[in-house]
Amino acid sequence: MSPAMSLTAIGLVVAATIGIGLFGLRISRTTSDFYVASRAVTPRWNASAISGEYLSAASFLGVAGLVLVNGADMLWFSVGYTVGYLMLLVLIAAPLRRSGAYTLPDFAETRFESAPVRKICSCLVFGIGTLYLLPQLRGAGLALQTVTGAPTEVGAAVVAIIVVINVAAGGMRSITFVQAFQYWLKLTALATPIFVILIAWRSGDHPVGVLESLQGAGAEWAEPLSRAGGRDHPVYATYSLLLALCFGTMGLPHVLVRFYTNPDGRAARRTTVVVLALLGVFYLFPPVYAVLGRSFAPDLIGAGADTVVLELPGRIFPGTAGDLLGALVAAGAFAAFLSTSSGLTVAIAGVIDQDLLRNRLHRLTGGDYLAVNSFRIAALLAVAVPYLAFNLTGALSLADTVGLAFAVAASTFCPLLVLGIWWRKMSTVGAAAGLIVGGVAAITAVLVNVIGPPQGGWPKALIGQPAAWTMPLAFITVIVVSKLTPHKIPRGTARSMVRLHTPEAVDVDRGLSPLT
Amino acid sequence: MSDTRRAAGDPEMTTYRDVQLSPDFSELRRRFRRFVFPMTGLFLAWYFLYVLLADYAPGFMSTKIGGNINIALLLGLGQFVSTFAITLLYVRWADQKFDPDAKHLRDQIEGETQ
Repeated sequence: MSPAMSLTAIGLVVAATIGIGLFGLRISRTTSDFYVASRAVTPRWNASAISGEYLSAASFLGVAGLVLVNGADMLWFSVGYTVGYLMLLVLIAAPLRRSGAYTLPDFAETRFESAPVRKICSCLVFGIGTLYLLPQLRGAGLALQTVTGAPTEVGAAVVAIIVVINVAAGGMRSITFVQAFQYWLKLTALATPIFVILIAWRSGDHPVGVLESLQGAGAEWAEPLSRAGGRDHPVYATYSLLLALCFGTMGLPHVLVRFYTNPDGRAARRTTVVVLALLGVFYLFPPVYAVLGRSFAPDLIGAGADTVVLELPGRIFPGTAGDLLGALVAAGAFAAFLSTSSGLTVAIAGVIDQDLLRNRLHRLTGGDYLAVNSFRIAALLAVAVPYLAFNLTGALSLADTVGLAFAVAASTFCPLLVLGIWWRKMSTVGAAAGLIVGGVAAITAVLVNVIGPPQGGWPKALIGQPAAWTMPLAFITVIVVSKLTPHKIPRGTARSMVRLHTPEAVDVDRGLSPLT
Repeated sequence: MSDTRRAAGDPEMTTYRDVQLSPDFSELRRRFRRFVFPMTGLFLAWYFLYVLLADYAPGFMSTKIGGNINIALLLGLGQFVSTFAITLLYVRWADQKFDPDAKHLRDQIEGETQ
């Protein structure tokens, strides 16, 4: 692989990202611009931006790596990532928009009228965001290492710095344009090498012995639920993964905030349809890389499977053609790291700014500061913490780390949102208990995975894919505790329910209700 | 608790309470739930069934239909198609059924608060 060409391509992506960010700077002036682009982005732009933001290092590099090692079962990652959007759309997108809350903590506060519940939500947003940012930084490190041989800290630092500058400078408006551009870049970068390979294969001037590698000793890899790669209890693991991805998407901070950038509920639905199509097209390609990888890069199965997408073009086409394709893929990978990290950073920074920073700054400076500056400091914090964590933690595969972030979201925000929107008898204590029990269970599983997972059997399966037990645990906790504390049902439940379930055009008060 | 506020003559609370208790509002919520929850259950069951079939009925799943195409492949592709079909169905339902009903409720509320 030619470092010069790949570095040039990465440089161009970075330049374009910052360039569009600066262009956005001129139009984003108010706080509302920063958070949700003043709610005026058309469905097509928005769908490209949502897809651009959602397709992270885990999708671009991680899925292919997991399929390469563990075989067909890992295809459920791409199915789950996509179906999560459908769940979000039908179950909660419309009511949540109507609640008038910008963030998950906002929703918790309006619905449950409780500052402690809000604080728990803020901490969870920060935790889930950090867990999701971690693999983005790790992916960036791996990509730069593959291209230049630099240590992984360098790539991670590059992405961290660019994201902070971009978010602090432009906010959401410029992010929308940046991400829409990055979706198309990612799709092009992933698809082009595949088409070139297919053309070479059909014209017969290049030996592509793919099918041979799937027969004989390697055949088990292509079988579903085959335990290839040493994953025990495949049915449990698959169910748990599907649950985490289907119900976790609704609890991801950067995904939710995106639904507010639509002008109305109708546009939000249109946007989701386009998003599903865009994601579906994208996910056709990672499995192809994995299958080709079985033939052309079998050495990566042992270690470094996450780099298969980056390595493959150079292995199949040694020489200039491979260099060019490799540079394109590296550029696409950086687009993936940058777009997801930017979106996450905007969302997490929003929460840090509102819940942790602004009041303190206000006290420190005696009110002599701009709201936007607080947001900028929050953006710096939002990236600095995962960067430190990245330097401390070991090598969990990209898609697995992201899968765990989904599991935490599914065990905390999913019960809060689904029951909070649909169940009138949910009490404030029940909400808090569900968040704490689900959160502690899922985060414990994450930590065990990071520090040193069990070696095999049920313990490994249960800890590796915790959602199938942590999510029901959280739901049951909310329901039981709410039944036990009926006197703690929020006073404004009737009002919240009307607000959540009547269409937006109705002139009910959607402003944040002050704490009573 | 709302009842005490109502007794104290909080006009805003009374409207919200009335809307929530009104048959139209419960009907609207009921309709939404009756469409959305079964739909969600159905497509989740469909995904989970596919996993079960792959585990317990590999013979059935690998039945060749022609060339390299077998039942598992068809069902797998069918999941993509069905996910998209469900989405389109929901969007159509929301545009054609839910929004008009909601508009009706809106007219009612706005009439009352004026």
